[in-house]
Amino acid sequence: MLKPCLCVASMVTRGGVMATVWAMSDEKPLIHMQQLMLRYPTGKTALSGITLEIPQGQFVYMIGESGAGKSSLLRMFYGGVRPSSGSLVVQGLDMRQANDAKIREIRQRTGIIFQDHRLLFSRTVFENVALPLRVQGWQTERLIPRVRKVLAYVGLADRLWSYPEALSGGEQQRVAIARAMTANPPLILADEPTGNLDVDTARRVLDYLMDLNRNGATVIMATHDLHLLESHPGRVVQLHGGTLAGDSW
Amino acid sequence: MIRIPGLKKQPSKNMARRRVEPNVVNEGQSSLPDREHPRLPGGFNLPPFGVHQVLAVVIVCIALWAVGVIWLGMQAASQWVGSWQQDIHIHVYLDADKGKADNGKGANKLQQRLENIPQIASVRRIPAAEAATWMQSWLHDAALNEQDLVNRLPLTFELSLTDEQSQFLFDDIRDAASRFGGRVNEDEVNLARAHYWLSQASWLAGFASIVLALAMALIISNTLRMTLLARADEIHLMRLLGAKEWFVRMPFILEGMVLGAAAGVAAWLLLWPIIWGSSAWLLTMQVDLNLWILLPALLLGGGLVGTLGAVIATARVVSAETGV
Repeated sequence: MLKPCLCVASMVTRGGVMATVWAMSDEKPLIHMQQLMLRYPTGKTALSGITLEIPQGQFVYMIGESGAGKSSLLRMFYGGVRPSSGSLVVQGLDMRQANDAKIREIRQRTGIIFQDHRLLFSRTVFENVALPLRVQGWQTERLIPRVRKVLAYVGLADRLWSYPEALSGGEQQRVAIARAMTANPPLILADEPTGNLDVDTARRVLDYLMDLNRNGATVIMATHDLHLLESHPGRVVQLHGGTLAGDSW
Repeated sequence: MIRIPGLKKQPSKNMARRRVEPNVVNEGQSSLPDREHPRLPGGFNLPPFGVHQVLAVVIVCIALWAVGVIWLGMQAASQWVGSWQQDIHIHVYLDADKGKADNGKGANKLQQRLENIPQIASVRRIPAAEAATWMQSWLHDAALNEQDLVNRLPLTFELSLTDEQSQFLFDDIRDAASRFGGRVNEDEVNLARAHYWLSQASWLAGFASIVLALAMALIISNTLRMTLLARADEIHLMRLLGAKEWFVRMPFILEGMVLGAAAGVAAWLLLWPIIWGSSAWLLTMQVDLNLWILLPALLLGGGLVGTLGAVIATARVVSAETGV
């Protein structure tokens, strides 16, 4: 099922081929990184020498053992941590040079799904899903129909005013997906969104992410669930010990 | 298909796969009624009030009430002093033998000297007999020998003042009296200078108010810190979603302002029983307190103190992974 990704594999191995790939494609990559390195203040090197390019509209699995650097890489995509060296350009923004205001803009254009959902349990499903729009300054009158539609999409239209604790794990993750997609971001980052779910529920969650991808969103998903790759194929980026160990399509 | 308004930048047309809206269906659109006022976090929306907030209002209210009582007392003291200060006289005494010496020329010179002080409206030499009569009555008709009193009492000058707040007036009077061996009634000087002591008391009241204001700001700050800790996840999430800092902090600053202002109004209401309880006593002292003047002071002061506490509380709200 896994096919070699010509463009990225060639870029990883030979930087000079990259120009050829650019010439072949008139798309600008959504994410571009070159010799990316991340070292935490503790001295631990989380990522080293990552050169990778992710075009708009791809579905990318990020796999690797615990501590391989998957979450660190995802965090860099939304400015949670800044690269120590190398370059990282996300949605046209150089993440090393970007100021706080630019990082905020990137976050508003990025949907993030966490393994532990990070839902606000003191707030209703509506309030959770409306939060990204509220942050972007939407008025309440506009919010309600939008949130209704997004929740209907993930099959939770009837849970609008429920609290997350009343939902099952799968439903909570669907609320998290709804929250990530409600502002219609071009990039969705999912950090092990199926980690706590059974196989069937995980597949359903992945169906939603695949559907979002089919509709144009770039989805980058860190996961340990390799069996999902068979039913939901995509590009696979493998990290090992903070370095790029493989990239296949 | 519906258009998604939240997308600020649409992908370029030359992209291989154009972004289109997911198949968002309208199912359940009308099955649940909309809440008229959903409780959304951030921005100008106040966070929910809990027991911590109520306790903070109570504590700050007590402190503001104490400030109100202090300034009410200052107002009463100012009115009371003003009611009798207009009639105050200063007496200068000259020993009888010094007054009579040189055919009374020394006494005349002293009187002239006193009259030359600009802030003295008039100088009246009190006859010894009048002074003796007054002393007899002051001593409740002690049946003293009046002629003996007349011989023993000093020569007395009664000064009426035009401006008792003049800086060097009392030094000038003392200087004039001492030149001719006389002395000034210092108790009367102290009474005449009551405005000075009131002004000193005002400084103390102001200092006490500032100390109490800082204490109140810290109380509100601590309360809000607890709220911030309780809502750390929400703040963290808002930052991850790209919220601006003012959007994250504004609810807490508003909360501090509302807490302070509410405590100010409550403190003002609690000042009324003091006025009602002491009205008869205040009337005898010709004091008519105006409590309404304290309302804007307590309201604005409370709001300001609450805002200060909120700013202190939110000055450093750190969220991991957000760069803040």
